[in-house]
Amino acid sequence: MTASKVLLASYILVAIAAPLIAPQNPYDPLQIFGWEASSPPGTMGSGGYLYLLGTDGLGRDIVSTILYGLRISLVVAIVSSAIAALIGLTAGVSAAYFGKWVDATIMRLVDLQLSLPTILIALIAIVTLGPGIDRIILALVIVQWATYARIARGVALSEVKKPYMDAARLMRLPTSRVIFRHLLPNSIAPAITLIPIEVGHAVALEATLSFLGLGVPIDKPSLGSAVANGFQYLMTGQYWISLFPGLALFGLIACINLVGEDVRRNLDPRSQTR
Amino acid sequence: MTMERANTAKRLPFFPYPAQSPLLRVDKLSLRYVSRTGPTAILSDVSFELGRGEILGVIGESGAGKSTVGNAILGLLAPEFEQTSGTIAFDGKVLDSMSVGECEALRGKRISAIFQDHTASLDPLMSIGAQVEETCLVLDPSLSRGAARARAIDLLARVGIPEPERRYRSYPHQFSGGQRQRIVIAIALAGSPDIIIADEPTSALDATVQKQVLELLRKLVDETGVSVILVTHDMGVVSEITDRVLVMRKGHVVEADDTAAILDHPRHDYTKSLLAAVPRLRIPAKGESGEGVAPSSGETATVERPLLVAEAISKEFMPQGFGLGSVLGIGQKRPGFGLRDVGIRLPRGTITGIVGESGSGKTTFGRILAGLDTAHEGRIVIGGHSFEAATSGRRSGLLGRVQMIFQDPSVSLNPRLTIAETLEESIRFGARVGSGDRSATEAAGAMMDRLGLARSLLARHPHQLSGGQKQRVCIARALLANPEIIVADEPTSALDVSVQAEIVRLLKETISEKGMTMVFISHDLAIVQAMCSAVYIFKNGRVEDFGPSDFIFSRSDNPYTRTLIAARPERFTC
Amino acid sequence: MGMISVAFGRLSQAFLLLIAMSLIGFIGIHSVGNPVFNVVNIETATPEDIRLATIALGLDQPLWRQYLVFIGNVVSGNFGTSYIYHRPAFELVMSKLPATLELASIAMLIAAPLGIGFGLLAGRRSGTLFDRTLLKASVSALSIPSFWLAMMLILVGAILTGWFPSGGRGATLHVLGAEWSFLTGNGLWHLVLPALALAIPNIALIARLSRSGTIEVESQDFTRFCRAKGLSSRRILLRHTLPNISVPIVTIIGLQFGGMLAFAVVVESIFSWPGIGKLLIDSIQLLDRPVVMATLTFIAVAFVALNAIVDLFYAVLDPRVRLSS
Repeated sequence: MTASKVLLASYILVAIAAPLIAPQNPYDPLQIFGWEASSPPGTMGSGGYLYLLGTDGLGRDIVSTILYGLRISLVVAIVSSAIAALIGLTAGVSAAYFGKWVDATIMRLVDLQLSLPTILIALIAIVTLGPGIDRIILALVIVQWATYARIARGVALSEVKKPYMDAARLMRLPTSRVIFRHLLPNSIAPAITLIPIEVGHAVALEATLSFLGLGVPIDKPSLGSAVANGFQYLMTGQYWISLFPGLALFGLIACINLVGEDVRRNLDPRSQTR
Repeated sequence: MTMERANTAKRLPFFPYPAQSPLLRVDKLSLRYVSRTGPTAILSDVSFELGRGEILGVIGESGAGKSTVGNAILGLLAPEFEQTSGTIAFDGKVLDSMSVGECEALRGKRISAIFQDHTASLDPLMSIGAQVEETCLVLDPSLSRGAARARAIDLLARVGIPEPERRYRSYPHQFSGGQRQRIVIAIALAGSPDIIIADEPTSALDATVQKQVLELLRKLVDETGVSVILVTHDMGVVSEITDRVLVMRKGHVVEADDTAAILDHPRHDYTKSLLAAVPRLRIPAKGESGEGVAPSSGETATVERPLLVAEAISKEFMPQGFGLGSVLGIGQKRPGFGLRDVGIRLPRGTITGIVGESGSGKTTFGRILAGLDTAHEGRIVIGGHSFEAATSGRRSGLLGRVQMIFQDPSVSLNPRLTIAETLEESIRFGARVGSGDRSATEAAGAMMDRLGLARSLLARHPHQLSGGQKQRVCIARALLANPEIIVADEPTSALDVSVQAEIVRLLKETISEKGMTMVFISHDLAIVQAMCSAVYIFKNGRVEDFGPSDFIFSRSDNPYTRTLIAARPERFTC
Repeated sequence: MGMISVAFGRLSQAFLLLIAMSLIGFIGIHSVGNPVFNVVNIETATPEDIRLATIALGLDQPLWRQYLVFIGNVVSGNFGTSYIYHRPAFELVMSKLPATLELASIAMLIAAPLGIGFGLLAGRRSGTLFDRTLLKASVSALSIPSFWLAMMLILVGAILTGWFPSGGRGATLHVLGAEWSFLTGNGLWHLVLPALALAIPNIALIARLSRSGTIEVESQDFTRFCRAKGLSSRRILLRHTLPNISVPIVTIIGLQFGGMLAFAVVVESIFSWPGIGKLLIDSIQLLDRPVVMATLTFIAVAFVALNAIVDLFYAVLDPRVRLSS
């Protein structure tokens, strides 16, 4: 368990420090040498550094592509999850507290979304919104907010029925105080534990969209588009172009999921006793 | 093993055994629970014997380890438990409390069990007939399908399930709680066992149903000669049907003796305190009520200047349907127990009781009085102000005029606020006095003193307090909001008996000190009698009977009131 | 009574879903770009050509009218004509459906038994080495991005070893008006890798759910009571645990089958499997609006229908729903 935490931490550190530790800036055409395209791992490059994992079809160093791609994947996933959590929690808790038409409206939307596969929603959203990193983030927010809303509403609904909420109402507290001091702090814990797992989903979904050519622009590849770039070379045996970015992506998602499971298990009193 | 089997096969099923060597002997049993934080002793040197055809009560408060004794005999302990010493010998054979495999042959056939939660004890997806039949077949593989079915029907009839043939194919959710517990008893009896371990078998049932189930158990014991270990927290249950009693506290056996001896001459202080804490119902002799106050004059006194009058409160429970089905009115409406034309009057400065079994609408009525729920019809008049009960409490202004004390203190306090924060909120927003922090702190502290709570608890969070302490904080919160009226909804039923008495005393004292008026909702007649000057008896959403307390308990000839009183354990009615 | 209200609830939800779907999808496709340029050559077309093409495609009408026309057509099963293939869009989708259905069915036939088996075993022995290994393995399997998994299957199963073909449907047999791969040896050979790519994450998902369901059911009082009344562990598992966890398992299998139809988008693109997923991605890239709409609507309808079937099944399995009146 700790191994996955350490690995995740190093992923994040490496992503932050990418410009400092990457041998090459893959976005800078002046550092890329087209004649060195598809060099196998271990080739010595003319930039004066070793292509440890080889180069891709455009001659970009795979190590550097992975490091820079990691940044984009993580930023997109974390930003979209944070926004989705914020919107989802507020919507879910409001639905539970106000009930009636507020609840009906929000939950109709949530049901609608959760009844369709995420990839389908993401496809619809991205087809509607068009390309670009900001659009990808928006699409991921649209995909994810409903999950938070449903969980937060479920918890808030059971909290609203508890006598301490009745007691708060009996004190004639202002509505805002009832929500922010009594209801919200007691309702968000289970939804917060969702965040790591949802970040993992977001990374995977962004990668899938990028792979399908509907994600981040090709000149600034995320890990997903880096894998996609290598697909056409796979058939000719130049496996490293897609293998290594994919491995990095897999490792990242696996770490996030393992840490997420851990967080959830530790915060769920029911599983603690088992 | 083979000897055991042969022995069992020869045994006549319902032959009452003469008293001889004990059927079960537990000798110096010690168990501990090993968790991440280290081992905790659960049982220490527990010894007792169980004879044939005997009902042994094991009584204690929460944490006494009484359920663990039963589970050890059944071999159903979680793997975190560890036996450190002692033996359990059944019919001369030593059982391993931890082993599952060895016990399987004995379990069900010679030792079976009844658990508290009748809903969870039955597989929701299997018809009840199939569940009984399955047990018969497993315990006696020689039975044919038809014979097993006949035996299952016979068992269901014996435990008092009406028309067992017709209801054979019904599922658990189609029976009432009392019937489900009877089915569980039928399954426990299926193998004609020697011992039934019954863990709080009637605690989830209403008093009248509890009485019937206990009578059934006693009858079955007398008929079949089975022995029962009855684990309970309730002295009343013990006094009703047990032959002998084992009093447990914190994993130790405090005292063991014949039931009559324990009840009449308890030796140990703990047993004495347990007995003293049991509320007793006093039935005044006819004509002895008060200073000869006739009920009519009592009522005129009530009519004079009531502080609160609730009139014609009615509430229907709509079925919670989903989607179009319920909108279009397709599907039957559930027979909801709402409230039908309920009215009460509360004289200023008195405590009025509302008594009823589950589903009588007493809690709903309390919440309507406090403005937390709305009714469909009716109005509530408090000190001359009239509130429509159909309007939400916040809009009509009713909300906040009445404070409540709830049943379960563990969920009645916001777990994220300290006690001080909770109480200050009550002073600032409930009572709307003194925004100065100093005076609020002082008022909260003084209230803590009055309720016997250390001021140091003010800085704590609810989970750091015991159940009794939490309930006192809830009382403090209600009192500090300085309402004219307090509704207390079963404020003691989630607490241990010894704590209950203290809470009842505190409530009664503080209410009269402050000159407040209280509605006390309870299912327990004895507590209501001790607290209240007048009583309303609710049944199925209606007021079935009402009057001054003395009148209700001595002279009311309402048959339902008489049934409720008769359901009380006789030992604690005088 | 329970079943009728379940059905009505489902229907009303499905109706709302379809309206929302068609609206979002329709506007979405419209905002992407002008599909006229797929029909006419941008370099050589005169404004008159473009105008005529626009009218021919019905794109000169206001958006709301286009939508109404579209809805009217959808109701009568007419999604318009593909801009690229010049065939009715719905017919095109239907012609690709057998390939996707066969892929998803084979994948589920692999995933369901394996997943349930692993899950039951692990749940019965929770905390053992097998259980912990299964948990870790399932997290890994769920973490593998589906497209990369598919690529690695090609790399290992086709390129490095040459055991399986890397794409295409192989030989097919014409039965019941459609082409089927699984009826020929060669076709079955082509099915292995794509079916595995779809099945692996689902094995993990179903295994996890069966495991937690088993643990949940076995910790409930009635199984404790079953043990106390003397039933053998085996009998408890088969007669009590399995029926009780079948409800969530059936649910997840139904939902995941729908999910496979959607995720076929990825797997079919990689394995050049000519199903509706590949059609969808191709059409999005070619801005073939009628086909995109027909495909998305079809997947949504299929998903809603599956949901409804699952709910009814749920009602049949659970007497508390079936007999609630």
